[in-house]
Amino acid sequence: MTFLTNIRDYPWSGLVSGIVPSRLASYLPARFQAKSTQIVPSASIAGNALTVVIAIMSFLASLTAGAVYMVNQSASAWVSDIASEITIELDPLVDAPDIEKKMTLVSLFLAKQKGITEVKPLTAEDSAKLLEPWLGHNAALAELPIPRLIAVEIDRSNPPDIELIKNALTQNFEGVTLDDHGRWQAEIKTLTRSAALGGLAVLALVFAATIAVIVSATRSAMASNREIIEVLHFVGATERFISREFERHFLGLGVRAGLVGAIAAASAFLAMPYVMNLGSGGITEAEMHRLVGPGRLDLWGYLLCFFVVFVVAGLCMITSRLGVIRVLKAYE
Amino acid sequence: MIRFENVGLRYGTGPEILRDVTFHILPGSFHFLTGPSGAGKTSLLRLLFMSIRPSRGLIFVFGENLSELTQGGRAELRRRIGIVFQDFRLLDHLTTWENVALPLRVMGKRESDYRDDVTDLLNWVGLGDRMHAYPEILSGGEKQRAAIARAVIGRPELLLADEPTGNVDPVIANRLLRLFVELNRLGTSVIIATHDYALMDQLDTPRLVLLDGHLQIR
Repeated sequence: MTFLTNIRDYPWSGLVSGIVPSRLASYLPARFQAKSTQIVPSASIAGNALTVVIAIMSFLASLTAGAVYMVNQSASAWVSDIASEITIELDPLVDAPDIEKKMTLVSLFLAKQKGITEVKPLTAEDSAKLLEPWLGHNAALAELPIPRLIAVEIDRSNPPDIELIKNALTQNFEGVTLDDHGRWQAEIKTLTRSAALGGLAVLALVFAATIAVIVSATRSAMASNREIIEVLHFVGATERFISREFERHFLGLGVRAGLVGAIAAASAFLAMPYVMNLGSGGITEAEMHRLVGPGRLDLWGYLLCFFVVFVVAGLCMITSRLGVIRVLKAYE
Repeated sequence: MIRFENVGLRYGTGPEILRDVTFHILPGSFHFLTGPSGAGKTSLLRLLFMSIRPSRGLIFVFGENLSELTQGGRAELRRRIGIVFQDFRLLDHLTTWENVALPLRVMGKRESDYRDDVTDLLNWVGLGDRMHAYPEILSGGEKQRAAIARAVIGRPELLLADEPTGNVDPVIANRLLRLFVELNRLGTSVIIATHDYALMDQLDTPRLVLLDGHLQIR
């Protein structure tokens, strides 16, 4: 109950004046403006150094959070894409002269099945093109017995019975096999799970470093404010009053510096697609796209970047309160 | 008002600085606290102001046993005591007016309620034309008067001053002493820690003398 009462009684409107830079504070509505000069000075050398440190750490934390989120999102999309497709393979050596007719028959058969949304037979040229990255573009490809492929898109909300289709194809068409990408899916899932875990580990490390640096920098800044704490204590201020003054100051500092870092990180993500397109293309660019998708963050990704600001500001606030308690303990 | 019973004080594992200190301060009284340098005057003031705890013995402030009080309770009592530090302890980023108003601000009073009181007090201590100046440009005497004004703005029942004339010339020292006497006439109990015998000789008041950690009242 005491905790809830403390939250209710907290001068939340006063926090706004702590967050907004002092030069802009005069434009705030009256109820959000500080009543008089701030007891904790808004600018000091230690405070300025802390602002720079927090801005840099927020930038790194936001960048890491956004990047991990982006990789996870594109990996999930990748797995989802793979899972919603199956491939039918026709052996080119079976019924070779009538392979086109067989392609049509198999396609018609597949189109009639429940849970299949699209059947796309690939031409012999399409199949050959798939081998071009490995064998190159030359006339000899036409001579090779390249399997013919039919790409089948399935309805993920109402999926077909893959085993049933597989058996029906085997019974009705000789040399026709179905690949549900199961093995590849399993490999991709393992890969994405590893990427996600790796990303989370990196994120945890960056956050741990951010917390350590911010706590340390806030403590240093608090040390320079020791005299203020002592004077307030001697003129009869309660621990609660002193804590509030410092919390307001350090919350404002944390939000301002955190926002600078988060906005810088968000700008980096906004610029990423353009930076990626500046490359000369080729396999590197394709791999990059495969890894991070189009290089864009969605709304949740940007919100994650700005969530970092709350964490950073909260850390500053809590550390300052602990700093006040530590100084006052010497007098109790 | 204040009662010490067999109070002893030591810092850490060091020797006992104050031994079996027993005395009683009555409302409206005026005392000098004296003794050679290092005799424990500042430590005794710190005990009176509740910024340290005794190693042994009992201290009663305004009838409250300090050992039974919470942090909030001690802060409440501290508001009834004004203290003047030897090194002034003014906040450099606040003006003289804001420094003097600080005790009222921490009490949660509205500025409109105390604006005139602070200005009147600053005029009374001769700082009417310096109220918007920052401490760093004030002279030693002006800082001392500002520190005294801050100590008395909340109309404390007890005023403690640690060497309040240590940094000023004799003329200013006499003015400050008259200020303390005037506050005492208005009902505030005053304890001034000093080793300035010339200052003490000007008033016929009891002296709390600290010698080798023991307190004598003369």
